Amino acid sequence: MHISDGVLPISVTVGGYAASAAIAAWSARRTRSEELPKVAVVTAAFFVASLIHVPFGPTSVHLLIPGLAGALLGPSAFLAIGLGLLLQSMLFQFGGLTALGANALMMGVPALLCGVFFQRFKGRTRRRQAIIGGLAGALGTALAALVLALLLATGGEDFFGVAKIALAAHVPVVVIEGLVSAFTIGFLAKVKPALLEPAFVQSEKAAHA
Amino acid sequence: MPEVMLVALPAWQFAALLLAPLAILAAAAAGLRRLVRRRGAQHEDKDWSVPPLADAAGTTLFHRWDIRCKLLTLIAYSFLVASLSRVAPALAAVAVSILALVLARSSWARVLMRLLAITGFLAMFLVVMPLTAPAHPGDTVLVIGGVDWIGFNLRGLTKALAIVAKATAIALLMEPLLTTAPLPVTLHGLTKLGAPDMAGQMVLLSHRYLHVFRHEAERMAAGMRVRGFRKRTDLETLRAVANFLGMLFVRSFERTERVFDAMRARGYRGRFPAPAELRMEKADLALSFAWLAIGAALVVYDRLSG
Repeated sequence: MHISDGVLPISVTVGGYAASAAIAAWSARRTRSEELPKVAVVTAAFFVASLIHVPFGPTSVHLLIPGLAGALLGPSAFLAIGLGLLLQSMLFQFGGLTALGANALMMGVPALLCGVFFQRFKGRTRRRQAIIGGLAGALGTALAALVLALLLATGGEDFFGVAKIALAAHVPVVVIEGLVSAFTIGFLAKVKPALLEPAFVQSEKAAHA
Repeated sequence: MPEVMLVALPAWQFAALLLAPLAILAAAAAGLRRLVRRRGAQHEDKDWSVPPLADAAGTTLFHRWDIRCKLLTLIAYSFLVASLSRVAPALAAVAVSILALVLARSSWARVLMRLLAITGFLAMFLVVMPLTAPAHPGDTVLVIGGVDWIGFNLRGLTKALAIVAKATAIALLMEPLLTTAPLPVTLHGLTKLGAPDMAGQMVLLSHRYLHVFRHEAERMAAGMRVRGFRKRTDLETLRAVANFLGMLFVRSFERTERVFDAMRARGYRGRFPAPAELRMEKADLALSFAWLAIGAALVVYDRLSG
């Protein structure tokens, strides 16, 4: 779920922009500068991945993948997610332009946390990487839903009901996202384990290994 | 009025007065979505899922407006609109946006797509807020068919309507803002306004490779369908989707390396050539001032009418 224009109090939208600009600047500094164009191209892949719908009973949910982005991109994930959200807003109106800062915080901060979580606990075996990847995926979505509810709740008590509904709507997404993330990380561990090292930040040697 | 005003309504009246318009709106949105989708299926080359973000060169006011003035003005104006809190000024903002659409000769099909994209999120507010907004002194609450544990708070409804109107007003402005100049020129304007040069480059690259990876994903999906894969609600579907995602990432990371090598081989040193000469004239500034004056007037109207 992306927040559209006109929902949040103006102070929260402006504050969201300021905070996400600061984190994006940090994220860009943690990424080696000549690799920034690569981050842009990878962002396109995550963008496409987030358009994939998974059936859920009579309806379907689309993947949010903040957890996977964090696990695969490390500190660059915030930059990638901000960029992806800007494009989604410009192309599809998913998320308003004035709410872009708040939306970037909602998806980007969980991605950073999931990245740290995954890199810290991933271990060496494929099984363990898949399980930790799945937990990171579920955690990313759960945190994003929590931030969404908190942002909505800044509007005052009239918004509490909407915040609760939005939170509840994410419960099935958390489960699906966790399972898909676990399978995806398991697949990558089998097919191309190098991708599970955080991209764009490691030494020259590892990048071309 | 110190008291909460309770108005008892029989269930059928409530349905007729409030739920029927909502249901009609929902049905209209669903119908339009079907229509747009079917149209998209007929014309294979016109794919609105990733619109090109630049119309053929036009000569309207918006096409001629200096990009820096246009960006600064319309973004600042959007924030002014987002700060409104009442329904009437927000509806006035919608009217201004429609005027802008007419002036910019925007494509109505794309405008419609943008509106459809926000209907789901906004419908949640329209449905949930009246039912959950706590009753304050002075509120009017409709009690439906004698069920007193849930009430339909009219203050919640007005608040939700204001949100819907604001979101619509700003979403309608996106077409005149973004499609009246080619994307590289818009991004060039943003960097001239102080955004980092690299940010603009990254948007351009992402936008370009989005199409490439979408085609890649479609090819892979076609392959899966041919082999008999159908999406269901089960673990196997999730596993297949996950493998699909994993393969998409493997291919795109590899492609990313090749793209970057190709860029460097062609002399990329961290910047792209400037796409256009920007020229700002008095008319551009005058239009900006006029537009912002409208925004300021809306804010004043919003504050005074309270």
